[in-house]
Amino acid sequence: MKSFLILLKNELKLNIRNMNMVIFAVIMPLIIMVILGLLNGTKPAADGVEYTFMEQSFGALCTVSICAGGLMGLPLVVSEYRERKILKRFKVTPVSPTKLLAVELTIYVIYCLVSIITLIPVAMIFWKVTIHGSWLAFLCSWLLTMISTLSIGMMVGGIAKNTKSASIIASILYFPMLIFSGTTLPFEVMPESMQKIVSVFPITQGIQLMKTTFLGLPADNIKLPVIAMGTVTILCTAISIKYFKWE
Amino acid sequence: MEEVIKVDRLSKTYGNLLAVDDISLSVKRGTVFGLLGANGAGKSTTIECILGTKQADKGQVSILGYNPQKDRQKLFQKVGVQFQECDYQHEIKVSELCEETASLYKTPADCRDLCSQFGIGNKIKNSVKSLSGGERQRLFIVIALIPTPEIVFLDELTTGLDTKARRDVWKILSVLKANGLTILLTSHFMDEVEVLCDKICILKKGKAVFYGTVEYAKSVSGCNKFEDAYLILSGEEADGE
Repeated sequence: MKSFLILLKNELKLNIRNMNMVIFAVIMPLIIMVILGLLNGTKPAADGVEYTFMEQSFGALCTVSICAGGLMGLPLVVSEYRERKILKRFKVTPVSPTKLLAVELTIYVIYCLVSIITLIPVAMIFWKVTIHGSWLAFLCSWLLTMISTLSIGMMVGGIAKNTKSASIIASILYFPMLIFSGTTLPFEVMPESMQKIVSVFPITQGIQLMKTTFLGLPADNIKLPVIAMGTVTILCTAISIKYFKWE
Repeated sequence: MEEVIKVDRLSKTYGNLLAVDDISLSVKRGTVFGLLGANGAGKSTTIECILGTKQADKGQVSILGYNPQKDRQKLFQKVGVQFQECDYQHEIKVSELCEETASLYKTPADCRDLCSQFGIGNKIKNSVKSLSGGERQRLFIVIALIPTPEIVFLDELTTGLDTKARRDVWKILSVLKANGLTILLTSHFMDEVEVLCDKICILKKGKAVFYGTVEYAKSVSGCNKFEDAYLILSGEEADGE
């Protein structure tokens, strides 16, 4: 446990020194929120609904950091450590692959936490965002979305041949999910045919679940996203541990 | 004396290239074993196959009675390694790299002590990438000694060091050896090998062409200087002509 904490402390320091994740996982979600807030203010999401546009988008904004960490940061750091033979050095020490992956995973969990902690007060103060559903259900769906997305990243980092292929896979996952899953471009403004296509992204399922729980909408279709994300998590985690490569 | 490293008929090929060809060796506790040979003779590959970072095609390896592939986590509590090409996390500081490494072991050595012994005690707050080549080399010897190991593997331990620094490293290693440390090293400096090694193995194109003591190498080849003996035994002299 002690070595986990020391590794975590040092790796987190290195990660912050690098600044990429501070920008993409903490500052970017805030900027997107401010832009959406300035455009929409406190107006309702549609005619005749009780919640505002910002409340409807809040769940999606919380996934910007999840996308950045899980689909950019995590796969790149793991594959970079492999390519630069840092993992090889770890291989001739007693550390287990599970511990190393857990340390890197925890770093991105921390970024996601910082992001949601900064987004909540800003949304509440400036755009009077209030939760209509339950915090517990919302945070559980946030957690599930985060863990499933991070597990995808861990798998990509774990099995990609080198940094270049990891970065290509990461970009293929990151940009479409960031733009089309409803993270930045609201799901509601997309044409119906497009909504059907983008529903295959696990993160789209996560965002829909977070929206439902945040707005307190009738949860008639909660099973599908939960099962989908749970399966992704278990599958990707198992693959990333089983097929972990030091070199 | 107890044999702490046993290698039996190890072979490894890369495609068509036979990098390690049927090598056997054994190292006794508290001795220094030198693996010699020209660039590309298979020294690093041999070390990596012994450590299990590369999978050998054939052969048996036992270190302290452990199988390096299967008992990795137990074995590397007691074994320190310095690779020829080592990289480190971007932007990491000397103190952070030391602390991170020390945290992985049950009974780590004091990193500050080790760093000052190796003459980099005043660099502890610097970033690793700001160190000179020689300082970085010494840092990676420090990293290999942090586990307070029973055996240490040093691949080209003094490459990039100046004369004084090389002598300092020899002195420290001699003291550690007197305290019972077993060392397996590779080197291109024959003066160093003569001072440190109890036994040597010379590799040529993956094959062991000589196995024995430095004195024996000199008498077999009929040379007074070990460097000459090495050149004859490794066949580099003949190849050059």
